[in-house]
Amino acid sequence: MPRLRLKGVSKRYGATIALGRGDLTLMSGEVHVLMGSNGSGKSTLSKIIAGSVRPDDGVIECDGSVVTIPSPRAARDLGIAVFYQELSLASHRSVVENICLPRLSGTGGLFRNRAGMAAAAAPFIAPFESVLGDGFGLDVPVGRLRADQRQLVEIMKTLAAEPDIFIFDEPTSALDRAQVDCFMTVLRKLKAEGKSIIFISHRMDEIFEIGDRVTIIRDGETVSTSALADTSMDEILRTMTGEEAPGPAVPAVAAAPHVARQPSIKLKVSNLVAPGVNSVSFELAAGEILGFGGLHGQGQSAVLRALFGTAPTRSGDIEVGATRLKGNSPRASIREGLAYVSGDRARDGVIDGRSILENTVPIYALKNHLITASPRSLGTRAADALEQLQTKYQSLFHPISSLSGGNQQKVIVSRWLMAPPQVMLLDDPTKGIDIASKTELFRVLRDLAADGMAILLYSSEDAELLENSDRVLVFNNGRTVRELRGDERTRYHLYHAAYEAA
Amino acid sequence: MTRLSTSIADLVRTPLVVALSLILALLLLGELLSPGFASSSQIMRLLIVASILGVVAAGQNLVILGGREGIDLSVGGVVSLSAVIAGNMMQGSDAGIIPAILACLATGAFFGLLNGLGVTLLRIPPLIMTLGMLGVLQGLLVVVRSGIPSGLAAPGLARFVTQPFLFGVPGMIWLWGAIGVLMALLLRRTLFGYRVYAIGSNENAARMAGVPADLIRISLFVLSGMFAAVAGFCIIGYAGSSFSNVGAQYMLPSIIAVVLGGTPLSGGKGGYTGTMAGAVLLIVLQSILTTLNIEEAGRQFAFGATLLVLMLFYGRGKALRG
Repeated sequence: MPRLRLKGVSKRYGATIALGRGDLTLMSGEVHVLMGSNGSGKSTLSKIIAGSVRPDDGVIECDGSVVTIPSPRAARDLGIAVFYQELSLASHRSVVENICLPRLSGTGGLFRNRAGMAAAAAPFIAPFESVLGDGFGLDVPVGRLRADQRQLVEIMKTLAAEPDIFIFDEPTSALDRAQVDCFMTVLRKLKAEGKSIIFISHRMDEIFEIGDRVTIIRDGETVSTSALADTSMDEILRTMTGEEAPGPAVPAVAAAPHVARQPSIKLKVSNLVAPGVNSVSFELAAGEILGFGGLHGQGQSAVLRALFGTAPTRSGDIEVGATRLKGNSPRASIREGLAYVSGDRARDGVIDGRSILENTVPIYALKNHLITASPRSLGTRAADALEQLQTKYQSLFHPISSLSGGNQQKVIVSRWLMAPPQVMLLDDPTKGIDIASKTELFRVLRDLAADGMAILLYSSEDAELLENSDRVLVFNNGRTVRELRGDERTRYHLYHAAYEAA
Repeated sequence: MTRLSTSIADLVRTPLVVALSLILALLLLGELLSPGFASSSQIMRLLIVASILGVVAAGQNLVILGGREGIDLSVGGVVSLSAVIAGNMMQGSDAGIIPAILACLATGAFFGLLNGLGVTLLRIPPLIMTLGMLGVLQGLLVVVRSGIPSGLAAPGLARFVTQPFLFGVPGMIWLWGAIGVLMALLLRRTLFGYRVYAIGSNENAARMAGVPADLIRISLFVLSGMFAAVAGFCIIGYAGSSFSNVGAQYMLPSIIAVVLGGTPLSGGKGGYTGTMAGAVLLIVLQSILTTLNIEEAGRQFAFGATLLVLMLFYGRGKALRG
């Protein structure tokens, strides 16, 4: 009897189908790998098991009986524990307190004694004893640990919940080889004890090393489950992307690379290091759209944000045009001709509650050293820029919050068009906006590139990325692992590179 | 028709309109309770008092607009200190007016700069930073006052503040009006104004759009100190001589005037026109309570309770929340 079984589970958000038909059968004593491209529904499926997303339809069986998992608490009661990619640790609390957190929130007294907690945490720390590194200690606040140490604590915390079913979502992304080896030993031991493990990773070598079976999800549907011993990386990638290995060329709508014969380099980045970025180098020519691809969160955004000067630390060489970028602040980057459009409009873009006009003019005003603001003359210029993107609005003096998401994003892009930059950094710019606005946006970006602007594009939608980029750099764990040109710009090659061992 | 009625309803609910209607209502009430309350000379007197509060509130308004829990509790201390400095530099002579005002402005700017640097570079919350600064200023005041005789206002200044200056209206009220116009221009017709609102609404997005948020915030505190200094200077003209800790009574009212005027404490929206009405409203309210001849404790109680009721009323107009 399977430990856990999902049959025809689905989830939709409005018109978007996050998961169409999710099937998964998890046995006792197996490591079950879950794979799928970006947006395939892989994380929705694991969230449904974790109780943080409620499915619209489908059946979940635990040990043969039908269950519902309405909350993370209910998942815990069923013996399910989740390791999350986004660290869920309390950074001001000590290592011990974090590890014991799942137990503290259970039933029991109000007071805990420190010695008791340390003793309770010890068996989960022990397997990693030799790879903890400097600065690790039971009483050290988690916020002072290195990234790999924090990830180990997150693993220990998951283990300390002592569940029967584990979900590990990218548990090794920050770990070094020795730490991964310790973790693999732990997984093998759990397997021998008959525990069930759902494993999500972007490292193909780890998947083949530890996995027993693999379930592949494509476009919201489970397409296959097979034993890893009977399959190959190529076969997995083919199933995942639905494409044959050589891959058809990207459809004709894709841009022919309109890079001039002697391209002038607009952006040159050498050995860029920043949080989430491990020594990235590349060049970008005038008129070129360079895509950043790979699995989500592998450093694509982090590179763009670091270039724009929003990372707390940054090293490496950045040249915009012929000048070296010195200051590490958005102002310094803007001055040298960089522009940045974030997919997180509410946080990085929209000045909420202010007018469309005030949201459109800041860059123009900055570059032209304006002191006074004449709504009439600024308004004419702003209207021109907004018109380029066919932004729909009633009056420049209405608050920007009166617009739809797509039109708000057009305002943010227009902000930069009022004083065109040399290089545009687009950080998932179409996130959450309607199709018509997306199309409009890319039409304009294409025109801008044709006029010589250089564009860096990260998109969380693979199709959008492949269709609009002249070249694609594939990221894995903060590094670029491959460059895709011409006919290679296919989903197959994208994922082949994305899953290559880092 | 519906559209018209909605827009009328919206208009009625704007803090400025609410405050103005309340001022009129209170004046009528005062006239009923004690005939002569709303006479033109009495109104002029009220406006002079309101203008001094209004000048302090101008700086307070700027700091609050800039967001990130912006507030300036040190204004009272700056008012007191500049009043002492002004009195001692003028010593009853018109020749001292110019040096005195310059000294006051420099003092206000200096302490405002310290506040601004503390809030931006050291990231001390404005509430704590300016409260600390208030303590420093009060201590300084004790030292300064124990060493020197109390000062006297220049006759020219006293005339400017209290006597009709143009069209029967005292110069102080003209000055306040001018500050009102300048504030409106600063906030609506300069890039500085755009940037103040931008950092008050979404500081992160503002920085991403190239706004030098720290520099703007520091200037807001500097301006707040300078406005408080101007108020302290003018108080000498109103009172004739400098007396102890005259500024203390301006700290909280300056904040209340801003909020009554429709600028939420979270910043990012509102403006000075509303604050001016808020300042007048506060003064008229105080004056009515004084006219009623209630003892101090009852007066304070009534004042506090009225404010709470007013805030409830405003809250409904969703002007202050979010």
